[in-house]
Amino acid sequence: MKAPLPHPPLAQRMQIRDCWALIRHLFEARNTLVDFQWKLGMAVSSDTCRSLKYPYVAVMLKVADHSGQVKTKCFEMTIPQFQNFYRQFKEIAAVIETV
Amino acid sequence: MAAGELEGSKPLNGLLNALAQDTFHGHPGITEELLRSQLYPEVPPEEFRPFLAKMRGILKGGGGVGAKDVAGQKVNIWAENQSIASADMDFNQLEAFLTAQTKKQGGITSDQAAVISKFWKSHKTKIRESLMNQSRWNSGLRGLSWRVDGKSQSRHSAQIHTPVAIIELELGKYGQKSEFLCLEFDEVKVNQILKTLSEVEESISTLISQPN
Repeated sequence: MKAPLPHPPLAQRMQIRDCWALIRHLFEARNTLVDFQWKLGMAVSSDTCRSLKYPYVAVMLKVADHSGQVKTKCFEMTIPQFQNFYRQFKEIAAVIETV
Repeated sequence: MAAGELEGSKPLNGLLNALAQDTFHGHPGITEELLRSQLYPEVPPEEFRPFLAKMRGILKGGGGVGAKDVAGQKVNIWAENQSIASADMDFNQLEAFLTAQTKKQGGITSDQAAVISKFWKSHKTKIRESLMNQSRWNSGLRGLSWRVDGKSQSRHSAQIHTPVAIIELELGKYGQKSEFLCLEFDEVKVNQILKTLSEVEESISTLISQPN
């Protein structure tokens, strides 16, 4: 174990070990997807609008954090939003294939 | 001069805009007195009030649920508590509805009908979107950003040069602050999700192709 240097310049303080610790921290702060459930719904009517008539995609994600704890996140998308979501995933797939 | 008589279209158009802001776009606080003084300064308050109520009723509605308002049934456009936004009228329904309003006693003038018609045609999509957002009680997807990293070393796996996609979803409920969800995917996972999304798309195509 190296002894801590007394107030060295920043460049020296950022040793390789510190960099990796930082990267690991950022890495572990992200969630991984455990499950992706979906349904396609149609909103027909509501108290504010008798004639809604719009389809939507409802998604339920199960995500695990770095400790393994699983949380549920739900959200909805309109059809155009879903199509954008799908298009972005296709782009990600294309890029990840080439890396 | 009565409110119903002075029809340069600007004041009525302004009024409809203000009603839309207040009712559909979630910007309350536009008072009756403000509208009157800004748009119809020559009209006395006791005359402006029923005029405003009439326009609000035509645009937004707000009566109770009548038998004709049951979901799934074609809404009767002659019903008293009918309104343009609530019934999400198409242009034929709109013209018929407004014509009926001009024939009613205490209804609207044909000039006013023309202004309302033009207003609805240009604002319908936006108002509809607002109504959709208001009736969604789950979070909506407000944004998505992503990047792909090439990972060259990991304590948790023996793989080297494993690319990883990092996706940040911005979620939020109507009127509330956004929540950000950061997710990590490897290539296998990305392709799994892609397959799931293609199933969703297939479902959507089936739904759209089915007659109503």
